[in-house]
Amino acid sequence: MSELVRLNEVTKVYQGGITGALNGVSMTVDEGEFTAIMGPSGSGKSTMLNLVAGLDRPTSGTIEVGGADLARLGEAGLARFRRDRIGFIFQFFHLLPNMTALENILIPAQLKGDVVPGRANDLLDKLGISDVADKYPARLSGGQQQRVAVARALINHPTLLLADEPTGALDTRTGEQVMELLGNLHRDGQTILLVTHDAKLATRHAARVISVMDGKIVDDARLESPERTPSEVIRVRSQETSR
Amino acid sequence: MSLKFGVLGLLKEEPLHGYEVKNRFEAMLGGTWEVNIGQVYTTLQRLERDGLVRPVGPRGDRGKLLYELAPEGRKALSHWLAQPDSGPQQLHEDIYVKLLIATRVANGDLQGLLARQKRTFLQRLRDLNRLEERARRDGRIDLARLVRGALLHTEADLKWMDELSSERFGTEEGNPV
Repeated sequence: MSELVRLNEVTKVYQGGITGALNGVSMTVDEGEFTAIMGPSGSGKSTMLNLVAGLDRPTSGTIEVGGADLARLGEAGLARFRRDRIGFIFQFFHLLPNMTALENILIPAQLKGDVVPGRANDLLDKLGISDVADKYPARLSGGQQQRVAVARALINHPTLLLADEPTGALDTRTGEQVMELLGNLHRDGQTILLVTHDAKLATRHAARVISVMDGKIVDDARLESPERTPSEVIRVRSQETSR
Repeated sequence: MSLKFGVLGLLKEEPLHGYEVKNRFEAMLGGTWEVNIGQVYTTLQRLERDGLVRPVGPRGDRGKLLYELAPEGRKALSHWLAQPDSGPQQLHEDIYVKLLIATRVANGDLQGLLARQKRTFLQRLRDLNRLEERARRDGRIDLARLVRGALLHTEADLKWMDELSSERFGTEEGNPV
């Protein structure tokens, strides 16, 4: 598989504090990978995502996405990059309240000047939210709002889908459904970089888990997916047999 | 002990032969607790001696004996089910001792050990996730529930390791050596 993202010795220093700073991070992500980034609050995991998204610039080091060195892009170029190549999902959805679900989904396509009729409806269909197309965000449940946000992130066929705690504001069941959705997108070939606190959910869908601590990558685990029998994974012991 | 009450519980559903008890018990736990047939027969004999179960009819072909729950057994089962599990928490994993020792004899590689241990637990989470998915797909709801419990336990262990990891050893009070 070919390389899609490359971070080379990336450092990010924030004035007045160290929280969220990055300290010499290098990593690559291949096309088609579903990677989870995990770490405590303030470890720099969201900073990594924002830098890859071109929402922020590193203090030093280079970031390449799809062969493009983000440092070589000016502000307009970076905006174009974000619009055309990146889909971003946030914890709190960030939908515009005075627009309907459908209008929200179409924003990136309109900015690009590339509104393909039917594409938004196909997405609404695929994400199971066709019935809320004409509703305003305030009338939608958290799960529905996040699905609308996913559709908005996908409308321009992004090369890379970035998700920052997409289940953080959802209840367990709804969170599972949104992650299931990301898992399906990944099975269809979407490259996904996910920041999350939830190791249970992350490992269900992502086969790679990068652990970040104090602005550094402390582990990069590629998980296996063998068929294991229950007794290979769990042993229930009674007090008597363990004695 | 839970094999005894597991047997009583299964017999409450319907009378069973010894090997059926074994099969159902193992199926319920998805094979995560293997019992040998000898253990099951010993348990049944002891339950019969104590008047909690009784044979139904004569021995069948190949000497098989059907057992049912006796009224005393019904009472014992209800009592057991009504009691919350108490007593100290059982921590079976070697990792608890290992990590406590590692924090004491800090040789600079505690973070390395934690990272390696976390990795194996992440893999375990993935295995458990796949197991749960399969159990649900196959309609094995008992196993799915059990796996769910194991998933949450492993998640808690991972959180504990994250706490150890961010404790900054040697700078906090109560950290000897």
